[in-house]
Amino acid sequence: MLFSSISFLYYFLPLTIGLYFAVPRGFKNTVLLLASLVFYGWGEPKYVILMALSVLLGYGFGLLVEKYRQKSAGRILCVASVGVSLSFLLYFKYADFFIENFNAVTGMGILPLRLALPIGISFYTFQIISYTVDVYRGEAAQRKLISLAVYIAMFPQLIAGPIVRYHDIAKQLERRGHSLSGAACGIRRFVIGLAKKILIANQLGELCGVFRTSGEKSVLFYWMYAVSFALHIYFDFSGYSDMAIGLGRMFGFSFPENFNYPYISASITEFWRRWHISLGSWFRDYVYIPMGGNRKGVGRQLINILVVWMLTGFWHGAAWNFLLWGLLFAALLTLEKLWLLKKLEKSRFFSHIYTLFFVVISFVIFNAENLEQAFSDIAGLFGAGGIPLACAEAVYYLKSFGLLLLAGGIGATPALRVLVSKISENPAGSRALNLIEPAVLALLFVVMTAYLADGSFNPFLYFRF
Amino acid sequence: MSAKKKDFVLCLVFGLLLAGGFLLCLFLPKAKYSESERRMLSPRPKFSAQGVWSGRFMSDFESYAVDTFPFRDFLRGIKAVTALHVFLRQDNNGIYAEEGFLASMEYPMNEASLSHAARRFGYIREKYLTGENRIYLSVIPDKNCFLAEKSGHLSMNYRDFEKKMADLADFAEYISISDLLERDDYYKTDTHWRQEKITDVAERLALAMGTEVSEDYELCEMEQDFYGVYYGQAALPFAPERLKFLTEEAIRGCQVYDWQNQKQIPVYNTSVFDESGSDGKKAAVRDPYELFLSGSLSLITIKNPNARTDKRLVMFRDSFGSSIAPLLISGYAQIDLVDIRYIHPDHLGQFIDFEGCDVLFLYSSLVLNHSDTLK
Repeated sequence: MLFSSISFLYYFLPLTIGLYFAVPRGFKNTVLLLASLVFYGWGEPKYVILMALSVLLGYGFGLLVEKYRQKSAGRILCVASVGVSLSFLLYFKYADFFIENFNAVTGMGILPLRLALPIGISFYTFQIISYTVDVYRGEAAQRKLISLAVYIAMFPQLIAGPIVRYHDIAKQLERRGHSLSGAACGIRRFVIGLAKKILIANQLGELCGVFRTSGEKSVLFYWMYAVSFALHIYFDFSGYSDMAIGLGRMFGFSFPENFNYPYISASITEFWRRWHISLGSWFRDYVYIPMGGNRKGVGRQLINILVVWMLTGFWHGAAWNFLLWGLLFAALLTLEKLWLLKKLEKSRFFSHIYTLFFVVISFVIFNAENLEQAFSDIAGLFGAGGIPLACAEAVYYLKSFGLLLLAGGIGATPALRVLVSKISENPAGSRALNLIEPAVLALLFVVMTAYLADGSFNPFLYFRF
Repeated sequence: MSAKKKDFVLCLVFGLLLAGGFLLCLFLPKAKYSESERRMLSPRPKFSAQGVWSGRFMSDFESYAVDTFPFRDFLRGIKAVTALHVFLRQDNNGIYAEEGFLASMEYPMNEASLSHAARRFGYIREKYLTGENRIYLSVIPDKNCFLAEKSGHLSMNYRDFEKKMADLADFAEYISISDLLERDDYYKTDTHWRQEKITDVAERLALAMGTEVSEDYELCEMEQDFYGVYYGQAALPFAPERLKFLTEEAIRGCQVYDWQNQKQIPVYNTSVFDESGSDGKKAAVRDPYELFLSGSLSLITIKNPNARTDKRLVMFRDSFGSSIAPLLISGYAQIDLVDIRYIHPDHLGQFIDFEGCDVLFLYSSLVLNHSDTLK
């Protein structure tokens, strides 16, 4: 089920919120779990079983790891738990990639499995791993199956994150407060996330779709596509994260932030501190640091960076372009770490241009169907193949999407937040903001419902991962 | 307002929106047909274990929830206005408004589609026609051709389109009519041309095919409001129009036979707005442009008993042909109208005598550019 759907907003959500607040405290997790199973089963009825099995295994391993963590068996159990979780991920997400490449190298004809990717498997697998590793590191194992199941399968963050670490919400699973201000904060965050998704990301997604099907390419059109996709993926994914965090707040949880205006970064290093923060910190804490991080010399550190970014790329998809995407970031981060970062500090303007340029290029690679298309798209950005600088179609769509691109560009910076914060410093401004905020959010909600009722373009990008 | 009050109001408003929406979704009576979009709405799916397990129940429910959402037409209007006037999008779902007209951006030219159409026409020629048949081709430009240049929307180069089509179907003599048409010759909210504005087109076609047609007509007007197909797609506020049609002695004396339903039909189906018209369909389900020869029928024969000629015409056509055919009948003893979107050409030999007749392929650029429906 999509957050940005009529069925979620006007059937599932009112029912879930109603039930959640109607039942006594002791049953709230049960309501959340049941709602989450319906939410997941709505899109993937068959894979509910897989998710339930993953939860049960995580639960069992957690208890065993806790029991034996002082002994060598604890380590073996922890590794086994990670192995089992990863084996599900490998089987469902990567099997065909390995089969196809094995066939290509050996000339054999092993038939691909053609399995449908269980939605959110990359996210909940990482949460289960986080749980068992945290237990191995000393966190108390969860004794209540329902509580652990809620942690893994809670619908706000089940499908596209943020990747919530067990120790971050372990206490909230047992005892959490519900307040009017918390609920209002959650509503605000949810509506803003929904607006990012429906009003900006979806429309920019349309432009990307138009570019892809167009037979009339030009340099201008390639750049419009590249910039649109960079904004599209940001508003799509950060919008989803906002909705997840907002829903979490409504139910009394505090999920970690996942984005912090990444497009204002002045280096790739900074970009990755602001983009998909929960994934970056997951890889840092569960891969990079256990591999030695920066504690074993520069050579080892560079190898660790390479491994982490290859895995980050591969996590996003079982295709070579995702690996290339990860490797590009590995190369840029290595360069920055070795000497570029100091140079970038000298010119804020240049460093922004450099960062945005490589981020845009990286997303062209990311969104390609395959490596061939990735290289062809990048070549198109620089006019390869004798394509014209502009074409009628590009000019038309620039006119049609110009304001949206501008709004997206501004919306990707903290400008609006700074403006609101400045206004609210003044008591009169603060009162005025308090007055108009509910009206603006309600109006936004109605307009977004209108977009949904029109049945326009709507998929979430990060459901692919 | 204090921050605490604001939080309370926000929770209250959001709660009311969700709860109100939920209750309306559950209890408001559901329409089965969308008049503005001219399509059946998705029905409520039946709950079954198999449907749930396969996921079909859920996907059907998603369609049902969107299609039957309360005040959907109103909300679609809000979306259209937001897209066009807030985000300054140049079109909404590919439809745009310009100078009081709605048009669809027909772009780009689909050469493969033109080739397919020409191949289908060539097949008919190979199967049924000989050197004795005079074969003509004419293309009707879509409204976008007359609006896009001024408004800056995308449109095909219509001259290239005509030339390409004429070259591909070079066995037919091409009759150009584009210079006779302009924006005002089309209904404002519909794809189609206005019959009362195309008498010059009928005259040119007739002249080129070696016959003469009437020049004097009586103008009739339907009393009901007519909203064209773009009206529903655009979801923009537009005033209705009135359908008009022309009649004269030859038209009044015609006999029209609908081979598909094996019955006589009128030239002008004035019951098109009636709750249950002569074709038995409910008014809401019918395209009012079916006024002309009852719309999308696969094969119709119009006989003109008062004709001063024995010339016969077989017209391969789309819905634009329905409104021009009555204007040509005074120049022919019989016109057979064939819509090869609904009948395979292999079956035509049973119904049509092609010997010595004129053959006209008259198609709108809209159909030729998406000709995969031509059999």
